[in-house]
Amino acid sequence: MKNTIKVERAKKNWTQEDLADKIGVSRQSVNSIETGKFIPSTVLALKMAKVFGTTVELIFQLEKTD
Amino acid sequence: MNKTKKTSGNKVLLFAILWGLTYGISLFVLKKLSPDTATGVILSFLPVLTFGLFIYHIIKGVASMDEVQIRIQMEAAVIAFSLGLLLLMTLGLLDLVVSLNREDWGYRHLVPYFTIFYFIGLFISKRKYS
Repeated sequence: MKNTIKVERAKKNWTQEDLADKIGVSRQSVNSIETGKFIPSTVLALKMAKVFGTTVELIFQLEKTD
Repeated sequence: MNKTKKTSGNKVLLFAILWGLTYGISLFVLKKLSPDTATGVILSFLPVLTFGLFIYHIIKGVASMDEVQIRIQMEAAVIAFSLGLLLLMTLGLLDLVVSLNREDWGYRHLVPYFTIFYFIGLFISKRKYS
């Protein structure tokens, strides 16, 4: 699964720490999700979409191997 | 949120120290002072209380973690459990063919191994998600 978290963060000029504070997780957790090492739960994905003002589908996309 | 986590972490550390102390004191008294059976049994169960408090605070601490941190803790526990099981299985089999010295391989000698296995698991799991 690929994601556009880094792009969305850049649009808002947010650091990983900023995003982490807004969604209530640690910076390390944001890094794990952003680098694709951890797939977040639906709740966390929805929280991310909400703070970015977009939809989950635009942040997370399935790859052919998924 | 960070302050809550720090307080939770401090409590876990405090109860870990308390457990270590009661275990150490019990071990010392049982080994060196040879108390009577009744006192010995009470001393053997004393660390159970502090260990229970320690585990209770660990569980509370894990519950306040985010999902990535919970996954890290869960994988660390799985690795520690697997390594612990492997150690017990190997010692059990070895015990059938060679006589293991109880002064080196008694039950109490396994306690530090399980603690070490948890930290090995934590190290592996943290590397996986960082």
